[in-house]
Amino acid sequence: MPILPKKKVGIVACSGEEMPEGTVSRVAALKVLEELRPNDTVTICLPLFLAGGEGDRAFARFYPTVAIDGCEKRCAARATEMYSGKPAASIVVTEVVRRNGLGPIRGSRRLNEAGMQAADLVAQEVARLVDQLLGRTGQKATPEAVVEEAAAEVPEDEEGTITLCSCGSGIPVQKVSVNGRVVTLIALPAIFEQFYKAGKRPGGGTTQELLEVTRIYNPIPPEEEAAYAEALAREYEKYCRKQVKGVP
Amino acid sequence: MEFLELTVDKFTFRFATDRYYHPDGVWALPEEDNRVRIGLSDFAQQSNGDVAFAEVKPVGTTVAFGEEVASIETIKANVFVPTPVSGTVVEVNQALEVRPELINEDPYGEGWLAVIAASDWEADRARLLDAQAYLERVREIAEEEMKKR
Amino acid sequence: MSPNRRVVIVPCSGIGKTFGTVSREAAYTVVEDLRPDTAELVALSLLVLGDEEARAAVAEHPTITIDGCRLACATKMVQESGFTVARSFTVLDAFRKHRDLKPEGISSLNPEGQKLARVLAEEVAEAVDELAKVYPDNGGSDADSA
Repeated sequence: MPILPKKKVGIVACSGEEMPEGTVSRVAALKVLEELRPNDTVTICLPLFLAGGEGDRAFARFYPTVAIDGCEKRCAARATEMYSGKPAASIVVTEVVRRNGLGPIRGSRRLNEAGMQAADLVAQEVARLVDQLLGRTGQKATPEAVVEEAAAEVPEDEEGTITLCSCGSGIPVQKVSVNGRVVTLIALPAIFEQFYKAGKRPGGGTTQELLEVTRIYNPIPPEEEAAYAEALAREYEKYCRKQVKGVP
Repeated sequence: MEFLELTVDKFTFRFATDRYYHPDGVWALPEEDNRVRIGLSDFAQQSNGDVAFAEVKPVGTTVAFGEEVASIETIKANVFVPTPVSGTVVEVNQALEVRPELINEDPYGEGWLAVIAASDWEADRARLLDAQAYLERVREIAEEEMKKR
Repeated sequence: MSPNRRVVIVPCSGIGKTFGTVSREAAYTVVEDLRPDTAELVALSLLVLGDEEARAAVAEHPTITIDGCRLACATKMVQESGFTVARSFTVLDAFRKHRDLKPEGISSLNPEGQKLARVLAEEVAEAVDELAKVYPDNGGSDADSA
């Protein structure tokens, strides 16, 4: 049975050394990665990312990222956008501090109390964003920017074509027609294979299930759910017919 | 050299297809005259981190399958390296004394650890995994790690 | 950069491993404790993303990089940004010289890691002194009195 990659969120912090807010970004990122959402997040090391770390860059092209920046210069967000794709969300520490009326942040090396408080607030906000991006809250997250970036790199093929996502992740993608336009759905071939091997027949409850699994890897706007469901049902039926006929 | 690849999160692990693997991450490559070259797998080197010190048992040491043939210290861990082949150490990679980082940079090439004159290679080989089976083992390890977190 | 500070320190501050935290701590130790009048920090990301102040500081002053691991991201990126690295240090090399100081922890370093950062910072501080002598006029009018 194919193993579908678990969707995770990359966390990129600026870690700027020259200002305490940079340290806040680092402390907050580590809090999310180590304590709040260790199973759902992956560290994106900014220096490695800048220096061409292919693993980090490929990850950020496929998965949504949250950039945490100390100041308005937004180094982490800009670097992510430059090398992989627009971050799904971007948080600036100075804004969080202002919004929450925290006292002056001091101590780049050792944060003062206000700094630690800011780190906690930022971390909680990032954890909430992670939940949203993984579709765990009532409010649906739609990280269009990131997914579109990955999809945009797929060559313009015909509908139904299966290729590997050119983000470098090796994850298969498939183009399908939804509401008259061709969209690229990440991981769809693997999802179909998994469903088929599990003996799920086209139609009925399978379509809704397909929609839910597909949604984990792809943004599906609520107003287009019916159209996506129709497209998925159609494509899955085609897939099953091919398997029966033994067409590769 | 050809490789299989496995990507887990942002990490991609390579598995050279021309050799055998001890499940604990040590490869064995049979050469001429019953000699078997050994080294750390890409997964073992990546998961243990940058090597600071590598100490391989000296030439002449006799080792049985699974016994320690080298110890490696990284900033993350002290790694016990079991031998994937029984026999006598006949060559040690001297380059590792000054550049232990070769294990990270080129685990299947210049970062080899030792050459062992095998006492019963056929028997040892039967206990080792090929690249595909080892890849599956690594996948299991990675999944177990995820569950633990 | 303050006019009397004559040497730039660029740590990698990597977040994925304990090395990066040691590099960051060592850099702070140099600029805050050991050579506060001579050395100043520049953030790698600012430099790479073209911040003018950061680029001017590195262009006008000898630069020391402190990398965590063998990937040497700070050194690589300073060079790829078109600047010269006067001296480079890595935490891994420092650990090789001080095997008893095994760092652990990314968000907070264990005592050994803090000691390793201190030892590394002392080495870096020596390099700062050497470079400050070689480039006595760098950085401003009061450089000679620094």
